[in-house]
Parts: sequence; C-alpha cells; structure tokens
Amino acid sequence: MPIEIPVDKWPGTVNTVTLGATAADGGTRSKVVTIGGERSLPFMHFENETPHPPVIALEMTAARPGDWSQVLLDAWGDVVDDPARWAGACEEAGADLILLMFGLNDADGNPVTPDFAVGTVKAVLQATGLPLVVLGPGQAEVDNEILVPVADATKGERLVLGLCEDANYRTIVASAMANGHLVLGRTPMDVNLAKQLNILMTDMGLPLDRIVMDPTTGALGYGIEYGYSVMERLRLAALQGDAMTQLPMLVNPGYEAWRTKESKVGEGVPDTWGDWAARGTHWETLTAVSLIEAGADVVVLRHPDSVTRVREAIDELMTLETA
Amino acid sequence: MAEYEVRFASHPEPIGVPAGTLLVDVAREGGIEIQQPCGGQGRCGRCAVRVESGAVRRRSVLRLSKSDVAEGYALACQTVVEGDATIEVPPPEAIERRLVTDHIAPEAALPEGYDPSRAQTIRRVEIRLAPPTMDDQTDDWGRLCTALRQAAGIETLDTTLEQIRSLGAILRESDWHVAVTVDLGTNGAPRLIGVQPVSEAATAPLCGLAIDIGTTTVTVWMVDLLTGRVMRQASQYNQQIARGEDIISRIIFASKGDGGTVLRDLVLETINEMIRAMGERLDIGRDHIVKATISGNSTMMHLLLGIAPESIRLEPFITPINHLPRLPAGEVGIDMNPAGVVDPLPGVASYVGADITAGVFASGLRDSAETVLFIDVGTNGEIVFGSSDWMVTCACSAGPAFEGAGVVHGMRANRGAIEEVWIDGGTYEPTYRVIGNVAPRGICGSGLIALVAEMFLTGIVDKGGHINQTLATPRVRRGLHGAEYVIAWAAESDTGEDIVITRVDIDNLLRAKAAIYAGFNVLADRVGVPLETAEHVLIGGSFGKYINVEKAVDIGLLPDMSWDRFEFLGNTSVKGAYLALIDQAARNEIAAIASAMTYIELSADNSFYEAFTSALFLPHTDLSRFPSVAAAMT
Repeated sequence: MPIEIPVDKWPGTVNTVTLGATAADGGTRSKVVTIGGERSLPFMHFENETPHPPVIALEMTAARPGDWSQVLLDAWGDVVDDPARWAGACEEAGADLILLMFGLNDADGNPVTPDFAVGTVKAVLQATGLPLVVLGPGQAEVDNEILVPVADATKGERLVLGLCEDANYRTIVASAMANGHLVLGRTPMDVNLAKQLNILMTDMGLPLDRIVMDPTTGALGYGIEYGYSVMERLRLAALQGDAMTQLPMLVNPGYEAWRTKESKVGEGVPDTWGDWAARGTHWETLTAVSLIEAGADVVVLRHPDSVTRVREAIDELMTLETA
Repeated sequence: MAEYEVRFASHPEPIGVPAGTLLVDVAREGGIEIQQPCGGQGRCGRCAVRVESGAVRRRSVLRLSKSDVAEGYALACQTVVEGDATIEVPPPEAIERRLVTDHIAPEAALPEGYDPSRAQTIRRVEIRLAPPTMDDQTDDWGRLCTALRQAAGIETLDTTLEQIRSLGAILRESDWHVAVTVDLGTNGAPRLIGVQPVSEAATAPLCGLAIDIGTTTVTVWMVDLLTGRVMRQASQYNQQIARGEDIISRIIFASKGDGGTVLRDLVLETINEMIRAMGERLDIGRDHIVKATISGNSTMMHLLLGIAPESIRLEPFITPINHLPRLPAGEVGIDMNPAGVVDPLPGVASYVGADITAGVFASGLRDSAETVLFIDVGTNGEIVFGSSDWMVTCACSAGPAFEGAGVVHGMRANRGAIEEVWIDGGTYEPTYRVIGNVAPRGICGSGLIALVAEMFLTGIVDKGGHINQTLATPRVRRGLHGAEYVIAWAAESDTGEDIVITRVDIDNLLRAKAAIYAGFNVLADRVGVPLETAEHVLIGGSFGKYINVEKAVDIGLLPDMSWDRFEFLGNTSVKGAYLALIDQAARNEIAAIASAMTYIELSADNSFYEAFTSALFLPHTDLSRFPSVAAAMT
C-alpha cells in the first residue's frame, strides 16, 4: 500500500554563508566552504533539497594542547607542536575547514601576544588552502587583544572569528566588519539567548550572512538531548521565518566527546568498555552524527579517523531516498 | 530671509528672528530658558509651550495629544517660526500634569458617604450602670454585659482574664459610668478591648493601624478611628532584608534553628519602630491604638505571626493558613493596646497573599465590567487579570530592584531619590528630578526604570543591557563592579560620592522586569485572553508616588499599550488594609475576593522559563511586541 508522506511547506530559509575567500574574492584560500540554505528540516529531501551538505572542521591548537586525551595526541603525533604541519595534516585527513584555537599561553608557556597570534594564523593560512575559524581563549580581554590584529593582518580572508558572547561581542564584530571576516557567536543552550546575541550583533551593522552561531551542545550521554532540542527548535523557528534564528549552526562534538570520561580515560575502567581509542572515536562520531541530524551545518572534530566516519554518514544522509 | 516678531507673555519686548527659527532659540534670545531634558530631540515633551496666536510649523508633536495641539500647544524644540507669533511658556508643573505618560498615585481618600459610627468594627459606647444593691446582686461582668446589650445591642462578649481582674476596680472608681471599647469583628464574637472612666475617654484618641508588610518595604498608616482619616504614613525597609533579599531565602532562613524567631522579631521591630515614632509625633500612646489590619504576602504574614512558612517553598506549595482569624494584639507582639485586635487579611495561595486581595479591592477591579490587568510590582510581582465576573492570578519573583534595594545606589522613593531621568542622546548628559527637589542621595525604582529606558534609547546600553564602553563621555567608565554610568557627580550629590548605575544593577532590573512581563504572558496564555484586550492596566507597588509608563514600556516591563490605559495607584496593599480597617463592608469584600480568585502556579508551568528568557532583553527578544519602542529607536 502506498504511504503518502505529509510534506511541510516552510516560509523560511537558513542563510547561505560562505567561509573563506579565494584570490578572486580578495583572499588566498584555494577552497571555500558554503553552508546553510536549508528550506526543510535536516535531510527531508522530499520537502526540499539540501543545497549544502554539512561540513567537517578539524580542531587544532596554536600551542600543544595540555588537556587533550592521549588517544588524540597519539593519533596526531608530533605535528601538534607545529601549527603549520598540523594544519597540513588536518587537510590531509579530509577536513573541509580548520578551527584554530588559541589558549592563554603560547608554545613556550608565556601569555599569548598579538604577534604570536598573527604569526600562527599566517603560518596556518600558508600551510593550508582550507577556510579557517580562529577562536581566542574565551577571556574577553585576551580575545580582543589577539583577534583584532589577526583580523587586520588577514583582511579579506573571510575568516570566522570568535567567540562572540553576549558580554563580549562589540570589538570582534567591529574588526570582522572592518576586514571582511565572519564571526562565530556562542550562547549557552537557549533559543532566546541565541536570538538575542544575533540581534545584538546585527544591530552593529554586521550582515546576517556573516554570522555563524554555536548554540552549544553536550556529548552523547552528557546532555546531548538538551542541545539537540535547542538546535531543533532554532531550526524550526528559522524555517517558520524568524530571521534572527536563520543562521547556520556550528557545534563542537569533538570538544564535548573528548572530555567525557569514556574518551579521556584509558586506565582503571571496566574491561567491557573495550578498546580505548575505538571507544573515543565512536563517542565522537556518534555525537557528531546525532548533531548533524539535529541540523548542524558545521561539526568540529578532533580525531582524524572520525572525519572519515562522519563523512560516510553525511554522504549516506544526503542520498537518502524515500520510498 | 523674512524677519518675524515673536512675543512672550513673560517678556516685555518682542523678539525679532528670521523665519524658521526654533522656538527654544527664540526664547533663549529673549533670555527665557526652556528646559530640554532630552536635549531637544522632541522625545520628552517637557518643553511644551502654548502658541496663543501666530504662524508656527510643528515638525513633531510627539507627546502632545490632539486636544493639546488644538489648544495651541507645541514643542518648543520642534517648532519653527513662520510668522509673527505670541507664545506663552507654562510653568513646568503644568506641563508635567498634562503629559499622558506621567502617572501620579492619588492620595487615600475616605469612601464616599463614609459614616464611621456605622462602618467600623470598633465601637466606644458610653454606659451608666445601675450600681449593685442588696436587691440586685448581679455580678460586675454580667452587669456590664447587660448594660452593653441594652445600650448597643451587643449580645455576647469575649474578654481576657486580665480585663476581668481590673474590671471591678474601674467600675467602682468611675462610679459606674464608663466608656466601653468593643471590637465587633466581622467573624466571631465581639471582643472587649477596654473599659475606662467616661471622663478619661472623652479626650482619649482612638486609633488604628493599616500595615503592609512587603518583602522589602513595610508601610504603616496610623488612622483616627473616630473619623476614619489617615493621620500619618510611614515606610521603612523590612529589617529582615539582612537575612535574605527574597522570599525563598527568608523561608530557608526561618527553617533553620531559631531563624523563624529572628525574622519575627525583625519585622516586629520594623513595625514597632514606626508606630513609636508616629505615636510620639502625634502624642498617641500605645493603649490608644486598638486595632490593626495587616496586609502582606503570605510568607510575610506567616513570619510575622511566627507560623513556620516552610511548606510555601516546597511542592505542592501550600500555606499553613490563608484565612486567619482575628487575633489579640498582645499575642502578635505589635506595639499597641495588648487587648486590641489584629486582623490579618486573607490570602489566596502561597504566592498570592493578602497584599493582592487587599490590592484588588483597593484597585476597584472587582467592580469593572471591562477586562482589567492589575499588577502589584514589588519584590514579588503579582498579577491579576479579570473583571467583575472572573479573576485569575499568578505571582513571579522580581527581586527587590523596583524598591531600590539590591542596587548599588538604590533607595526607597523618599526625599533625595532620583525619580525621573532624561538623557541627551547627543552628549549622554542626564537631567533628573529628585523627590523633594534636593541634592540626590540615590535612585528609586521609578528612577531606575527611567534611567535604564533612557540609557537604552540613547544607545548607552544595548538591547542586552550591556553598557557601551566605547562612547565618548566620562560618564561611562569602569568601576568596581565593571562598566558603570554616572548619573550624578559627587559634587552635586548629597552623599559626596558619584551616584552610578552598574552593569550588575542593570542585570537585576532586567531580570525583575522580565519576570513580571513573563508573568503577564503566561497568565494571558493560560486563560486564552490576549493582554491587549485589557481595557485598563492598574499598577500598584512601592514605586512611591510616581511612575512614567512610557519608560516602563520602553524597557519591556509593561505591555505596549496606549499610555492612557494605564493607571498608577501607588501602594494598593496598604490602601486595601486601610479600607478594611475603617469599613466592615470592605473587609467582607476582601474575603470574598480571596475566595473568588483562581490561582495559577507558574512553577508548575514550563512555559514560564521560555517567556522569561525571551523577556530578558530590551525591550524584548520579539521586538514586534513593542511597536512604540521600535518606533522610538529609529
């Protein structure tokens, strides 16, 4: 018996946002990434086509990470001491873009300086042709101190700069506007807070198509349901026509999954938990795929093997056919 | 360019100016200063003048009604000369009274046709008893009761052992000619308050108290029961604040060790201090104060009476008692005649107490055929929506910001409080008005509302309430608590220090207004009646005497409705307590209101949090709910 699938008609569309700029557009990227444009809930291909599949970013740090799981350090090897080589390895591992994260200290353990930040970003840009997301350590003063010179030094590259949060967004938005970059806004798992930050940033004159939002999420088993539901509600509001929610979403399953005990700890856990490395990548992959089904446009991962596996899932979801 | 002559009523010589000159500039030419608190942007309406004759062109008439314009009013900062004209500059007070945005609470008035001898429960009856003889050996008490029945129709009478002990001596000393003070009560038997010689009673005052115990502010009115008139009003911060700023922390404090006793003593001390001060001022001793009606939220009522309030805080959120009986004053601990009566007014539920039943009565909502929204803005915001046919109510926790507490330079709406603020959008310089026209000591609730609204409209804070630190003004700076804005410099303040509003203060105010606005929405959604259908919005609360509703709409505290639909009633809780004190019918009606309200518990409604976070923005995350604010922002 044929089953008729009810088809929803949505008045709203998610904004299309392009990350990175080629030489023709004033940047130096060999590849740009376009996200967003959805006109239906994720992968409801029978309602509307999904113009841009979700993309995968790999996270790397400007200085050797102090708190990453040993599994990750083993997987990357000694490139973690050299941002340029690490960026190259990320591209090789199949990432669509790279997220470069600054901590409070540089490689020698001294507080980060604008010079160090600019030097690192330039080295990474030179080592890879992929678009770049650059995040400060998340302390307002330090973020502003390093992101402004980075924005100035990379004018036209369409970097994604962050984090913009409700208490600290003006400086980053202003320097992104002045230099043709994009920004990443993060709010703590709440639909209204996400909308509010988007309103504040656009009130400064930043066009909506230069903002990506991070609604924050949790790892599998650590609150993912809540994050999933917030993303779903944001996307429903976007499709219903609420302009301040029509932004592509970036989430960080790598960070979330690799700080769970299951991924981080290899000793003193029950044998039934199985192989540590496999467990960690499973955790990351499953978290990422769940969030993609919630509507994520960019998932940020940490383990190179997860890239391949999440990519397979995306390909499968993109070619789903309904009977 | 053509030159015209403008005459001012207060200025002997005509002033010659070119066509197109603004009236404020013409006035300045003639040495007449017209106040422009908003910096000449046509926003505040304070510069209104009356064009008696002549040709002018009004670029904007914002703040003026159609009839104002018909009467010749024009904004001096927005009106240009296009011919010879004669202008009258009215005094500033006259302008303030005209503005539809400014709402001043009316004074308490006696009900129309009030007859104290009929309406009151307190009676002082003069009686002459037949002295006992060998033929009439009725006991003293029986003799008194019989005489009272004959004189005033009072059938049974409650008394205390103390009164019985002293009765015999008083009757004999007064030669069997006494004045008997009785409380008839509205429920239960009449109670004997005192017996005194007639000679003494003739000059003795007979007083009552209307008391409103708020979480943050306690108000006491002393009332002459012989006439029903209010003799004196006093307000103080509730001394319990030192043990927690909101209801929940008070309940937690009360539940630990002797916390309940500590809180009871603190509120009694707050009340008794005011009674003593007023008594001294009016020369009224404690024994002359014979009745007190108490209004207040349920937790405050329980704490005053020493009843453990723990269950108010815990699911399923019930009070030990909503309808309290009349109590002997001596048991309660209020500093008045110990044989007098204390009448705690009835509440509805844990978070909708006597302050609201009394407030609803005082507001007149019960008599309205139209739908009315009544809000009592205090530490808790209580909201009642309804008409004479139906009433639903809910409560939400706003915190003490509207009462000027929990804010660095906040204060109660007293002398020295900044109660209104305008900020010049070009220079970021404020103009403010202080209660009593003295040097400012702090900012009260209505001042805070106006201040944040002005900071928002002039771009000093963004929609999230963050102070923009990139502005070119020394008034925005970093202080101990982060970014702050200086409203009054040390040199102009009474305290000798800068009066500022900080980021933390703004956050507190934002949370307070969001809680109340969310309450409106959830309540309206639950009954399926849009807020906009309310014909009147009645506002009660401890703002003092004044609120600017436009500012309250600007920050998203009140729904965006036509300003003339709002009415500010002042402290409705103490007004209701006052009416219950002097009028039995009012007391009965308040009890009926308590029984007629449907209470909605917001903690059992998961839509509240969503409504709250979306209101945690200036004016609201959904700007389409505030079209007038959206228009003012452009």
